[in-house]
Amino acid sequence: MSVPRRGAGASQGGAADEHDPDAWREGIRAGLPTLFGIGAWGMVVGIAMVKTGLTVLQASGMTLLVFAGSAQLASLPLIAAHAPAWVIFATALVVNLRFVIFSALLAPHFAHLPWKQRFYLGYISGDMTVAMFLQRFPSPAPERGKLSYLKGLMYPNWVVWQAGSFAGIFLGSAVPSEWGLGFAGTLAILCILIPLIANSAALCGVLVSGVVAVLAYGLPYKLGLLVAVVAGMLTAMAAEECLVKRKRGHG
Amino acid sequence: MADWEIWLVIVVLVAATAATRSSFWLIGHRVTLPPRVQEILRFAPPCALAGIVGPDLVLNLRGELDLNLSNPRLLAGVAALGFYLLRRNMLQTIVFGMLVFTLLRVLYVFAAAG
Repeated sequence: MSVPRRGAGASQGGAADEHDPDAWREGIRAGLPTLFGIGAWGMVVGIAMVKTGLTVLQASGMTLLVFAGSAQLASLPLIAAHAPAWVIFATALVVNLRFVIFSALLAPHFAHLPWKQRFYLGYISGDMTVAMFLQRFPSPAPERGKLSYLKGLMYPNWVVWQAGSFAGIFLGSAVPSEWGLGFAGTLAILCILIPLIANSAALCGVLVSGVVAVLAYGLPYKLGLLVAVVAGMLTAMAAEECLVKRKRGHG
Repeated sequence: MADWEIWLVIVVLVAATAATRSSFWLIGHRVTLPPRVQEILRFAPPCALAGIVGPDLVLNLRGELDLNLSNPRLLAGVAALGFYLLRRNMLQTIVFGMLVFTLLRVLYVFAAAG
Protein backbone atom coordinates (compact mmCIF):
# COMPACT_ATOMS: atom_id res chain seq x y z
CA MET A 1 0.00 0.00 0.00
CA SER A 2 1.61 3.29 -0.97
CA VAL A 3 -0.36 6.14 0.48
CA PRO A 4 1.09 9.63 0.03
CA ARG A 5 2.72 10.72 3.28
CA ARG A 6 1.12 13.57 5.11
CA GLY A 7 3.37 16.44 6.22
CA ALA A 8 4.95 16.08 9.63
CA GLY A 9 2.17 18.28 11.04
CA ALA A 10 2.27 19.34 14.65
CA SER A 11 5.41 18.25 16.46
CA GLN A 12 3.65 18.19 19.82
CA GLY A 13 1.61 15.14 20.86
CA GLY A 14 -1.50 17.06 21.87
CA ALA A 15 -2.23 18.66 18.51
CA ALA A 16 -1.28 15.51 16.59
CA ASP A 17 -3.87 13.51 18.53
CA GLU A 18 -6.86 15.65 17.61
CA HIS A 19 -9.48 13.78 15.65
CA ASP A 20 -8.58 13.85 11.97
CA PRO A 21 -11.55 12.75 9.84
CA ASP A 22 -9.38 12.15 6.76
CA ALA A 23 -6.99 9.85 8.61
CA TRP A 24 -9.90 8.08 10.30
CA ARG A 25 -11.57 7.35 6.96
CA GLU A 26 -8.23 6.34 5.47
CA GLY A 27 -7.79 3.83 8.30
CA ILE A 28 -11.25 2.39 7.71
CA ARG A 29 -10.59 2.06 3.97
CA ALA A 30 -7.25 0.36 4.58
CA GLY A 31 -8.80 -2.17 6.99
CA LEU A 32 -11.87 -2.90 4.88
CA PRO A 33 -10.46 -5.83 2.83
CA THR A 34 -9.38 -7.67 5.99
CA LEU A 35 -12.79 -7.41 7.64
CA PHE A 36 -14.28 -10.40 5.81
CA GLY A 37 -11.54 -12.64 7.13
CA ILE A 38 -11.86 -11.14 10.62
CA GLY A 39 -15.62 -11.74 10.65
CA ALA A 40 -15.21 -15.33 9.49
CA TRP A 41 -12.47 -15.97 12.04
CA GLY A 42 -14.68 -14.50 14.80
CA MET A 43 -17.53 -16.72 13.70
CA VAL A 44 -15.32 -19.79 13.77
CA VAL A 45 -14.22 -19.00 17.33
CA GLY A 46 -17.84 -18.39 18.32
CA ILE A 47 -18.89 -21.77 16.99
CA ALA A 48 -15.93 -23.51 18.62
CA MET A 49 -16.72 -21.99 22.03
CA VAL A 50 -20.30 -23.22 21.96
CA LYS A 51 -19.23 -26.64 20.64
CA THR A 52 -16.84 -26.98 23.61
CA GLY A 53 -19.84 -26.74 25.89
CA LEU A 54 -19.78 -23.08 26.93
CA THR A 55 -23.22 -21.58 27.49
CA VAL A 56 -24.29 -18.64 25.32
CA LEU A 57 -23.65 -16.31 28.29
CA GLN A 58 -20.17 -17.72 28.97
CA ALA A 59 -19.23 -17.63 25.29
CA SER A 60 -20.49 -14.04 24.98
CA GLY A 61 -18.51 -13.05 28.07
CA MET A 62 -15.40 -14.67 26.69
CA THR A 63 -15.61 -13.00 23.29
CA LEU A 64 -16.35 -9.54 24.73
CA LEU A 65 -13.75 -9.65 27.49
CA VAL A 66 -10.89 -11.65 25.99
CA PHE A 67 -10.96 -10.62 22.31
CA ALA A 68 -8.03 -12.89 21.37
CA GLY A 69 -9.05 -15.56 18.87
CA SER A 70 -5.99 -17.78 18.92
CA ALA A 71 -5.74 -17.75 22.74
CA GLN A 72 -9.45 -18.52 22.99
CA LEU A 73 -9.15 -21.42 20.54
CA ALA A 74 -6.09 -22.74 22.38
CA SER A 75 -7.96 -22.65 25.68
CA LEU A 76 -11.00 -24.60 24.45
CA PRO A 77 -9.50 -28.12 24.34
CA LEU A 78 -7.97 -27.38 27.75
CA ILE A 79 -11.37 -26.40 29.12
CA ALA A 80 -12.88 -29.58 27.66
CA ALA A 81 -10.14 -31.64 29.37
CA HIS A 82 -10.58 -29.83 32.73
CA ALA A 83 -7.01 -28.55 32.71
CA PRO A 84 -6.03 -26.41 35.72
CA ALA A 85 -6.28 -22.62 35.36
CA TRP A 86 -2.51 -22.07 35.55
CA VAL A 87 -1.94 -24.34 32.55
CA ILE A 88 -4.57 -22.40 30.60
CA PHE A 89 -2.91 -19.13 31.66
CA ALA A 90 0.56 -20.33 30.61
CA THR A 91 -0.74 -21.67 27.30
CA ALA A 92 -2.61 -18.44 26.48
CA LEU A 93 0.49 -16.45 27.40
CA VAL A 94 2.62 -18.46 24.98
CA VAL A 95 0.07 -18.24 22.17
CA ASN A 96 -0.10 -14.47 22.77
CA LEU A 97 3.67 -13.91 22.85
CA ARG A 98 3.56 -12.41 19.37
CA PHE A 99 1.61 -9.49 20.83
CA VAL A 100 4.59 -8.61 23.04
CA ILE A 101 6.54 -7.93 19.86
CA PHE A 102 3.62 -6.05 18.34
CA SER A 103 3.19 -3.92 21.43
CA ALA A 104 6.92 -3.16 21.50
CA LEU A 105 6.64 -1.99 17.88
CA LEU A 106 3.48 0.06 18.23
CA ALA A 107 3.77 1.56 21.72
CA PRO A 108 6.53 4.13 20.95
CA HIS A 109 4.11 5.88 18.57
CA PHE A 110 1.72 6.64 21.42
CA ALA A 111 3.94 6.84 24.51
CA HIS A 112 2.65 10.36 25.27
CA LEU A 113 -1.01 9.32 25.77
CA PRO A 114 -2.55 8.81 29.24
CA TRP A 115 -1.98 5.28 30.57
CA LYS A 116 -5.63 4.24 30.53
CA GLN A 117 -5.88 5.07 26.84
CA ARG A 118 -2.60 3.25 26.13
CA PHE A 119 -3.91 0.23 28.01
CA TYR A 120 -7.11 -0.09 26.00
CA LEU A 121 -5.49 0.76 22.67
CA GLY A 122 -3.00 -2.02 23.32
CA TYR A 123 -5.70 -4.39 24.46
CA ILE A 124 -7.73 -4.14 21.25
CA SER A 125 -4.82 -4.11 18.80
CA GLY A 126 -4.95 -7.32 16.77
CA ASP A 127 -2.50 -8.86 14.30
CA MET A 128 -3.86 -7.02 11.25
CA THR A 129 -4.06 -3.64 12.97
CA VAL A 130 -0.39 -3.64 13.90
CA ALA A 131 0.83 -4.79 10.49
CA MET A 132 -1.22 -2.21 8.58
CA PHE A 133 -0.48 0.66 10.92
CA LEU A 134 3.27 0.13 10.64
CA GLN A 135 3.01 0.00 6.85
CA ARG A 136 1.42 3.45 6.88
CA PHE A 137 3.49 5.00 9.69
CA PRO A 138 6.91 3.33 9.89
CA SER A 139 8.45 6.08 12.06
CA PRO A 140 7.42 6.57 15.70
CA ALA A 141 7.81 10.37 15.42
CA PRO A 142 4.59 12.26 16.27
CA GLU A 143 2.51 12.86 13.17
CA ARG A 144 -0.90 14.36 12.59
CA GLY A 145 -3.70 11.81 12.15
CA LYS A 146 -1.83 8.82 13.57
CA LEU A 147 -4.27 8.20 16.38
CA SER A 148 -7.30 8.65 14.12
CA TYR A 149 -5.82 6.27 11.55
CA LEU A 150 -5.19 3.66 14.25
CA LYS A 151 -8.76 3.99 15.50
CA GLY A 152 -10.05 3.74 11.93
CA LEU A 153 -8.28 0.40 11.70
CA MET A 154 -9.15 -0.83 15.18
CA TYR A 155 -12.75 0.00 15.82
CA PRO A 156 -14.27 -1.66 12.71
CA ASN A 157 -11.97 -4.62 13.36
CA TRP A 158 -13.37 -4.94 16.90
CA VAL A 159 -17.01 -4.52 15.83
CA VAL A 160 -16.79 -7.01 12.95
CA TRP A 161 -14.96 -9.55 15.11
CA GLN A 162 -17.64 -9.32 17.82
CA ALA A 163 -20.47 -9.53 15.25
CA GLY A 164 -18.85 -12.61 13.72
CA SER A 165 -18.38 -14.18 17.15
CA PHE A 166 -21.99 -13.65 18.15
CA ALA A 167 -23.18 -15.02 14.80
CA GLY A 168 -21.00 -18.07 15.51
CA ILE A 169 -22.29 -18.44 19.07
CA PHE A 170 -25.89 -18.55 17.89
CA LEU A 171 -25.16 -20.59 14.77
CA GLY A 172 -23.12 -23.02 16.85
CA SER A 173 -26.02 -23.63 19.22
CA ALA A 174 -28.35 -24.29 16.26
CA VAL A 175 -26.12 -26.64 14.24
CA PRO A 176 -25.60 -30.26 15.41
CA SER A 177 -22.12 -31.24 16.61
CA GLU A 178 -21.82 -33.99 13.98
CA TRP A 179 -21.36 -31.35 11.29
CA GLY A 180 -17.92 -30.73 12.75
CA LEU A 181 -18.07 -26.95 12.38
CA GLY A 182 -15.37 -26.67 15.04
CA PHE A 183 -12.92 -27.91 12.41
CA ALA A 184 -13.17 -24.49 10.79
CA GLY A 185 -11.16 -23.24 13.80
CA THR A 186 -8.33 -25.61 12.94
CA LEU A 187 -8.37 -24.38 9.34
CA ALA A 188 -8.34 -20.74 10.47
CA ILE A 189 -5.28 -21.36 12.67
CA LEU A 190 -3.59 -23.03 9.72
CA CYS A 191 -4.12 -19.84 7.67
CA ILE A 192 -2.67 -17.64 10.43
CA LEU A 193 0.22 -20.01 11.00
CA ILE A 194 1.62 -20.14 7.46
CA PRO A 195 2.46 -16.42 7.03
CA LEU A 196 4.19 -16.53 10.44
CA ILE A 197 6.72 -19.08 9.13
CA ALA A 198 9.24 -16.42 8.12
CA ASN A 199 12.25 -18.64 7.33
CA SER A 200 13.48 -22.22 7.33
CA ALA A 201 14.47 -22.01 11.00
CA ALA A 202 10.88 -21.18 11.88
CA LEU A 203 9.71 -24.05 9.66
CA CYS A 204 11.93 -26.50 11.60
CA GLY A 205 10.46 -25.21 14.86
CA VAL A 206 6.90 -25.50 13.55
CA LEU A 207 7.38 -29.10 12.40
CA VAL A 208 8.97 -30.15 15.68
CA SER A 209 6.30 -28.37 17.71
CA GLY A 210 3.52 -30.08 15.73
CA VAL A 211 5.02 -33.55 16.17
CA VAL A 212 5.83 -33.05 19.86
CA ALA A 213 2.31 -31.78 20.51
CA VAL A 214 0.94 -35.04 19.09
CA LEU A 215 3.40 -37.23 21.02
CA ALA A 216 2.91 -35.31 24.27
CA TYR A 217 -0.87 -35.15 23.93
CA GLY A 218 -1.42 -37.53 26.83
CA LEU A 219 0.68 -35.59 29.34
CA PRO A 220 -1.03 -34.74 32.64
CA TYR A 221 -2.52 -31.25 33.12
CA LYS A 222 -2.61 -30.91 29.31
CA LEU A 223 0.99 -29.69 29.38
CA GLY A 224 1.60 -31.12 25.91
CA LEU A 225 1.13 -27.84 24.09
CA LEU A 226 3.56 -25.97 26.34
CA VAL A 227 6.18 -28.71 26.00
CA ALA A 228 5.70 -28.63 22.22
CA VAL A 229 6.15 -24.85 22.02
CA VAL A 230 9.34 -24.92 24.08
CA ALA A 231 10.72 -27.80 21.96
CA GLY A 232 9.78 -25.93 18.78
CA MET A 233 11.40 -22.67 19.89
CA LEU A 234 14.62 -24.41 20.93
CA THR A 235 14.72 -26.20 17.58
CA ALA A 236 14.12 -22.97 15.66
CA MET A 237 16.93 -21.21 17.56
CA ALA A 238 19.34 -24.10 17.02
CA ALA A 239 18.41 -24.24 13.33
CA GLU A 240 18.98 -20.53 12.94
CA GLU A 241 22.40 -20.75 14.54
CA CYS A 242 23.32 -23.63 12.19
CA LEU A 243 22.16 -21.64 9.17
CA VAL A 244 24.11 -18.55 10.21
CA LYS A 245 27.25 -20.64 10.73
CA ARG A 246 26.89 -22.34 7.37
CA LYS A 247 26.42 -19.00 5.62
CA ARG A 248 29.61 -17.72 7.27
CA GLY A 249 31.43 -20.95 6.32
CA HIS A 250 30.57 -20.42 2.66
CA GLY A 251 31.70 -16.80 2.89
CA MET B 1 -16.21 -27.45 34.17
CA ALA B 2 -18.45 -25.67 36.63
CA ASP B 3 -19.80 -22.24 35.75
CA TRP B 4 -17.40 -20.40 38.10
CA GLU B 5 -14.46 -22.34 36.67
CA ILE B 6 -15.31 -21.12 33.15
CA TRP B 7 -15.44 -17.55 34.43
CA LEU B 8 -12.11 -18.09 36.18
CA VAL B 9 -10.68 -19.26 32.85
CA ILE B 10 -12.06 -16.11 31.20
CA VAL B 11 -10.38 -13.93 33.85
CA VAL B 12 -7.13 -15.83 33.32
CA LEU B 13 -7.37 -15.32 29.54
CA VAL B 14 -7.99 -11.59 30.04
CA ALA B 15 -4.87 -11.44 32.23
CA ALA B 16 -2.77 -13.30 29.65
CA THR B 17 -4.01 -11.03 26.86
CA ALA B 18 -3.52 -7.81 28.81
CA ALA B 19 -0.06 -8.89 29.91
CA THR B 20 1.06 -9.51 26.34
CA ARG B 21 -0.83 -6.86 24.36
CA SER B 22 -0.71 -3.89 26.69
CA SER B 23 2.67 -4.54 28.34
CA PHE B 24 4.82 -2.29 26.19
CA TRP B 25 2.11 0.30 25.81
CA LEU B 26 2.37 0.81 29.56
CA ILE B 27 6.10 0.40 30.24
CA GLY B 28 7.61 0.46 26.75
CA HIS B 29 9.27 3.88 27.02
CA ARG B 30 11.26 2.65 30.05
CA VAL B 31 12.64 -0.67 28.77
CA THR B 32 13.96 -2.04 25.50
CA LEU B 33 13.98 -5.72 24.57
CA PRO B 34 17.42 -7.08 23.63
CA PRO B 35 17.42 -8.23 19.98
CA ARG B 36 18.16 -11.81 21.06
CA VAL B 37 14.99 -11.92 23.18
CA GLN B 38 12.98 -10.42 20.32
CA GLU B 39 14.25 -13.17 18.03
CA ILE B 40 13.27 -15.89 20.47
CA LEU B 41 9.83 -14.35 20.96
CA ARG B 42 9.32 -14.26 17.21
CA PHE B 43 9.46 -18.05 17.03
CA ALA B 44 6.85 -18.58 19.76
CA PRO B 45 3.65 -17.79 17.85
CA PRO B 46 4.11 -20.15 14.87
CA CYS B 47 5.27 -22.92 17.22
CA ALA B 48 2.26 -22.41 19.49
CA LEU B 49 -0.17 -22.48 16.57
CA ALA B 50 1.50 -25.62 15.14
CA GLY B 51 1.12 -27.24 18.54
CA ILE B 52 -2.62 -26.64 18.35
CA VAL B 53 -3.11 -27.70 14.73
CA GLY B 54 -0.96 -30.87 14.85
CA PRO B 55 -3.12 -32.86 17.28
CA ASP B 56 -6.29 -31.46 15.66
CA LEU B 57 -5.33 -33.04 12.34
CA VAL B 58 -3.90 -36.45 13.26
CA LEU B 59 -5.66 -37.47 16.49
CA ASN B 60 -9.16 -38.91 16.47
CA LEU B 61 -11.83 -37.92 18.95
CA ARG B 62 -10.52 -40.48 21.47
CA GLY B 63 -7.04 -38.95 21.35
CA GLU B 64 -5.49 -41.82 19.36
CA LEU B 65 -3.13 -41.31 16.42
CA ASP B 66 -4.98 -41.79 13.12
CA LEU B 67 -2.87 -41.39 9.98
CA ASN B 68 -5.26 -43.36 7.74
CA LEU B 69 -6.94 -41.98 4.64
CA SER B 70 -10.22 -42.52 6.49
CA ASN B 71 -9.34 -39.58 8.77
CA PRO B 72 -11.30 -36.71 7.19
CA ARG B 73 -9.54 -34.04 9.28
CA LEU B 74 -6.10 -35.05 8.04
CA LEU B 75 -7.12 -35.16 4.36
CA ALA B 76 -9.15 -31.95 4.52
CA GLY B 77 -6.35 -30.23 6.46
CA VAL B 78 -3.75 -31.16 3.85
CA ALA B 79 -6.09 -30.05 1.05
CA ALA B 80 -6.73 -26.73 2.81
CA LEU B 81 -2.99 -26.23 3.34
CA GLY B 82 -2.38 -26.67 -0.41
CA PHE B 83 -5.27 -24.36 -1.22
CA TYR B 84 -3.96 -21.63 1.09
CA LEU B 85 -0.44 -21.87 -0.33
CA LEU B 86 -1.91 -21.32 -3.80
CA ARG B 87 -4.52 -18.66 -3.06
CA ARG B 88 -3.35 -17.00 0.19
CA ASN B 89 -6.92 -16.25 1.20
CA MET B 90 -8.17 -17.25 4.64
CA LEU B 91 -11.91 -17.06 4.02
CA GLN B 92 -11.74 -19.11 0.80
CA THR B 93 -9.46 -21.64 2.48
CA ILE B 94 -11.85 -22.17 5.39
CA VAL B 95 -14.80 -22.61 3.02
CA PHE B 96 -12.83 -24.97 0.77
CA GLY B 97 -11.48 -26.99 3.70
CA MET B 98 -14.92 -27.31 5.27
CA LEU B 99 -16.39 -28.45 1.94
CA VAL B 100 -13.73 -31.17 1.57
CA PHE B 101 -14.14 -32.15 5.21
CA THR B 102 -17.93 -32.36 4.96
CA LEU B 103 -17.80 -34.26 1.66
CA LEU B 104 -15.39 -36.83 3.11
CA ARG B 105 -17.42 -37.17 6.29
CA VAL B 106 -20.66 -37.73 4.36
CA LEU B 107 -18.93 -40.26 2.08
CA TYR B 108 -17.70 -42.23 5.09
CA VAL B 109 -21.11 -42.18 6.68
CA PHE B 110 -22.57 -43.66 3.49
CA ALA B 111 -19.72 -46.18 3.16
CA ALA B 112 -20.21 -47.28 6.75
CA ALA B 113 -23.96 -47.63 6.23
CA GLY B 114 -23.64 -49.48 2.89
